[in-house]
Amino acid sequence: MSFSRLVSRWQGLALSLIGVVATVRLGFAGQLGLYIHPRYYVFTLIMAAIAVVLIVGAFAVVPASDDDGHGHDGHGHDRADAHDHDGHAYAVTHDGLLNGNAPSGRPRRRRRFWMLAGSAASLAVVAAAVATLLVVPPSTLTSSTVEQRSLNSSSATLGNTSAQAASTTDDTSAYTVKNWSLLMRQGVGLDYFGGRAASITGFVTPDADDPDAVFFVARFVVTCCAVDAQPVGVAVYQPGWQSSYPVDSWVSVDGTFGADPSVLSAASIVLQPDRIAAIAQPSDPYVY
Amino acid sequence: MLVLVGIRWLAPPELTAWMTDPARDFVTLSISVIIESLPFVFLGIVLSSLVQVWLPEGFLLRRLPKNPAARRLSISLLGVLLPVCECGNVPLSRGLIMSGLTVADSMTFLFAAPIINPITIITTYQAFGWNDGILVSRIVGGLLIANLVGWIFSRHPQPETLLTPGFQEACAVDAAAPRTGRVRRTFLQFSTETSAMMPALFIGAGIAGLIQVAVSRNLLVALGSNPLWSVLALMLLAFVVAICSNVDAFFILSFGSTFLPGGIVAFLVFGPMIDVKMLALLRTTFTAKTLVQVSILIAMCAATLGLAVNFVF
Repeated sequence: MSFSRLVSRWQGLALSLIGVVATVRLGFAGQLGLYIHPRYYVFTLIMAAIAVVLIVGAFAVVPASDDDGHGHDGHGHDRADAHDHDGHAYAVTHDGLLNGNAPSGRPRRRRRFWMLAGSAASLAVVAAAVATLLVVPPSTLTSSTVEQRSLNSSSATLGNTSAQAASTTDDTSAYTVKNWSLLMRQGVGLDYFGGRAASITGFVTPDADDPDAVFFVARFVVTCCAVDAQPVGVAVYQPGWQSSYPVDSWVSVDGTFGADPSVLSAASIVLQPDRIAAIAQPSDPYVY
Repeated sequence: MLVLVGIRWLAPPELTAWMTDPARDFVTLSISVIIESLPFVFLGIVLSSLVQVWLPEGFLLRRLPKNPAARRLSISLLGVLLPVCECGNVPLSRGLIMSGLTVADSMTFLFAAPIINPITIITTYQAFGWNDGILVSRIVGGLLIANLVGWIFSRHPQPETLLTPGFQEACAVDAAAPRTGRVRRTFLQFSTETSAMMPALFIGAGIAGLIQVAVSRNLLVALGSNPLWSVLALMLLAFVVAICSNVDAFFILSFGSTFLPGGIVAFLVFGPMIDVKMLALLRTTFTAKTLVQVSILIAMCAATLGLAVNFVF
């Protein structure tokens, strides 16, 4: 069996296996939440289990299929070519199909070249999949994504229910970063916030306008998976915070809300901290 | 398999220490697309095997109306039975073509099913209720566009040329394959379909991750409150975010009142049909030329629908 055919035949199963191993390992380590919403855990793991059966079965059956004559041989190079978004590969395969017999001379060399290039690309995809899914340690999104998706730009209606609850009850002890930021986005003012105590947990990200004196305690709100994560946060006034708390490190802050003393910062209400403690990243870093 | 499981402990930590924050986020976002889509692709392949290998031959096709327009309409409604979002529909559509459905009819299914799927309808209702006609515009608009695409491509003189040569050959091989050993054929089909879908999914996820890191979302969001620009900006957002149709309503709802209803409808109709990950998956089956034509056609229809909602209703 030629090298190209070998690569293209096993590439799909190899990538499936890499994906399934990564999924199951994340599941066992309790880290699936870094990538997807908890409502998908069960579905994802069930489909991974079904895929394991299919992958094992395919590994057992596929080598034998080489003996059934022309049958599945045809799949081989086409698969590689089909992904090679290149006019040449297309033309060459098409040519081969039309002629029905082996091309000779230059066309054959060209065909060989494109098949090898396709195989190299396939191997590169597999190597990249191993590196990203299996070697790089799982991690959350960072402040770099907060900048990309401006903090508190969304969520105007994300949690109407909690906002309504806030106006009718006064128990805010269980409020998270998300609840507080929602209230602020909905225009609740200092008359409500002034002097109110809060205890919040999140990662540190600098205020865009006054990064020296104000930082945000932020969380990502996830609807489906990390791709749609939207950052929300509560501003904390603490000049010189950088020396104690690196960006993206996790903190828990106790304090009371008040007017923002910073003239540069766009935040009008900030948390004035009584205590800031550096903590380890929680096992469920996102909020839903 | 044990090597794959243990590879992280074998790799020295310095191997990843050089990564900057954007590089880490690129990896996290790409993995997120893969982990989220993978089960749906597997489900699509399983359903595709069910149609091709386990159902009696012609079980589905025999029951469809003979009249082309009525047949396309019933195919576009088939999605109600299948809670599969767009990534799972690609292997399923491939299976339908292999079982003898025409290319144009399979396109109708492909583009209607993610919108007509029951989970999508429920989540869209939960997110928007009957407000601003968003739910109705999404369902009716999605059906209309899918049927229009099907009708236009049904007039193509050589529909098989819309498919990649590789997939054409796979269809020919499948038609000639002996109809015995169903379990074996299921495994073989799983191998064939993963060979086609997985590289596309992984490459698509990489591109989606890269765009997310490179393109600031702030600008797109800022354009969302203009009656004209909101439609185009949100379609671009849908293309870039490549989010699953089952939950895209919640995603766009989280931006709240900043967006006009027309923009939201365009997002909810265009996203499930065409986005960066879908194009990578569709490229396994359709030629690049076909995909450009389909994308432009659907984009124009979705934009018209969105503008109509903003300006007319």
